Amino acid sequence: MITPIAYQEALSHIDAPSSFAALRQTALRKFLQAGLPDSHQEDWRYISLEHLERMPLHAPLAPSGVLPALEDYPGALLAYQDDRLVWQDTTLPASVLGTLTDAIGGGAATWSPSAFGTIAGSGSVGSSLTQLNAALWREGACLRVPAGERLRQPVFLRFAAAEADAMLYPRVFINMAVGSDAILVEHFLGDPGIEYWQNPVTEINLEAGARLTHLRIIEDSNLATHTGLSAVNLDQDSSYRALNLTLGGLVARHQLDLTLTGAGAEARLDGVFIADGRCSTEQHLRIVHQAPHGKSRTLYRGLADGRGRGVFDARVEVRAHADGSDAQQSSRNLLLSPHAEIDAKPQLEIYADDVKCSHGATVGSLDEDALFYLRSRGIDGDNARQLLLQAFIGEALGLLDDTGLRDWLMPRLLACIPRSHPKESRP
Amino acid sequence: MLQIRNLHVSVADKSILKGIDLTINAGEVHAIMGPNGSGKSTLAQVLAGREGYQISAGSVQYLERDLLPLTPEERARAGIFLAFQYPLEIPGVANVQLLRTALNSQRRARGEAEMDAIDFLEYVKDKLVLLGMDDSFLYRSVNEGFSGGEKKRNEILQMAVLEPRLAILDETDSGLDIDALHVVAQGVNSLRRPERAIILVTHYQRLLNLIVPDQVHVLAGGRIVRSGGSELAEVLEHKGYAWLGDEAEFMETHL
Repeated sequence: MITPIAYQEALSHIDAPSSFAALRQTALRKFLQAGLPDSHQEDWRYISLEHLERMPLHAPLAPSGVLPALEDYPGALLAYQDDRLVWQDTTLPASVLGTLTDAIGGGAATWSPSAFGTIAGSGSVGSSLTQLNAALWREGACLRVPAGERLRQPVFLRFAAAEADAMLYPRVFINMAVGSDAILVEHFLGDPGIEYWQNPVTEINLEAGARLTHLRIIEDSNLATHTGLSAVNLDQDSSYRALNLTLGGLVARHQLDLTLTGAGAEARLDGVFIADGRCSTEQHLRIVHQAPHGKSRTLYRGLADGRGRGVFDARVEVRAHADGSDAQQSSRNLLLSPHAEIDAKPQLEIYADDVKCSHGATVGSLDEDALFYLRSRGIDGDNARQLLLQAFIGEALGLLDDTGLRDWLMPRLLACIPRSHPKESRP
Repeated sequence: MLQIRNLHVSVADKSILKGIDLTINAGEVHAIMGPNGSGKSTLAQVLAGREGYQISAGSVQYLERDLLPLTPEERARAGIFLAFQYPLEIPGVANVQLLRTALNSQRRARGEAEMDAIDFLEYVKDKLVLLGMDDSFLYRSVNEGFSGGEKKRNEILQMAVLEPRLAILDETDSGLDIDALHVVAQGVNSLRRPERAIILVTHYQRLLNLIVPDQVHVLAGGRIVRSGGSELAEVLEHKGYAWLGDEAEFMETHL
């Protein structure tokens, strides 16, 4: 059993606003009562967090003061290292974009904390990890787009890990006021070859008619553990479009809880996950249609190579009175090695009349006939395979064109596509 | 250009080709006809390097080298092209991407400079006209949602772009209406060159009225049972394959 001391020790080092001190204590107590999720919980059947118990996890020390080398981010940027803001490059006012600590501590006039903590609090099954985040987050990030405003540039939140065995709790709160419009990119990464644990929670509230396009990229080190939650609330006629990319981490899990609370809201959830080596990655989606005439469309593509494991688990619930709901799910997956595994589990629960719902899931291997077709045109086996894999995941990447981020993202993504296995060298 | 000697091929221990001998010289067009199941498509696939066939005996020489050890892409770069009987649909790969990637792979292998996107569009323009295709074909996913005729035209477009030394057209006439057949035949005829050989694999004679072969071979039961000039195709059209003798008849009824 994990020792609570590490967590309590971590909490004692946080100098956050005192108004939250009691909440943090409560959250930590709840986490310690529940412990880490284990395989008895349905949502945690496949993935194990046991290795965390064996790691000398601790709260990160103060950063070295050396700025990390930053990639080029084409937009506003808040860059965090080991849970502390180390760099920002934005012309947006602090009332729009800043740390969560500042948002809570200052500007009480603009801050309506009623939603904070409640979007992620409701319904999530593996919520002991959410409690842990609520207890231990530092600084955090907060984006509040005022009513009717459209941000011209994407907002990037970069959460990097640089310290081995650090436990990190990125916390993000997004409020899109009535009729506002923005593009948000969350980028999780870490120094190659170090072990750490990122347990982020992002809460997103879309007021009536608001629109958010959200790219979330897990590019953590190949020894890292990532257990992230996005919790999204959609009010009337709002629109949420997401692209979730899981490209890194030894254990990478993303939970997306989305609730259509207002009539006529629309969600489009795209995703690509790639699990190679001994990685395991899980995508859990909970989409709840509470109001009439909501529309949700889920399109995920998964690749597993080596001894990689992937899980796609999506449940759509159409509640009573959510008439006229339209929910579509598509999950297609490719296994690139005989030892790879992907489990696809689409589920529909419908308690309303007059709904349009469908789901489809496939797990297969690369089409040998198509491969031969390309090779017979002179394209070598490795390139032919890359072409087919790019085309396969490309089906889920439509949002890149809408956001203008294709050029920024594609090189990173292409670098993650598994190459063919080198032929055994002959003596 | 191509010498096939005593070629024996089996699939999963079932013998398909039982001793093929065939010599094709540059500039020639050869038709290979025969009943269904005679091994025509197997021969085409084996020449293109498809895996899954066991070559139990025989040899294939192509341009003075042993063809059989080469991978499919090495064969393509050496100038062999197979127009598929059932062209594959590849969602998400644009036709123009396939064409340019293939051409540049071949040019690289030959030590030639790669063609950039602008030069390539210029290069491919005339070839589209030849096949009666408009620009939109370039930007659609490879064969996805194409009609049967469009798929076959697209195969010949690839041939026109890649300019092979030896083109093997596997039942390119099947599934075509008479207009599409004319377009495809016209395309192939315009690609006849003194340095290029073409093998037409077909079940019917009608294609051979439009693309007149130098030689016709009848494949039955895994062997070439008759060879002759283009007049042989007409005889077959009138008499069917049965008159070729007991062996062919046996094979047709029992395979």
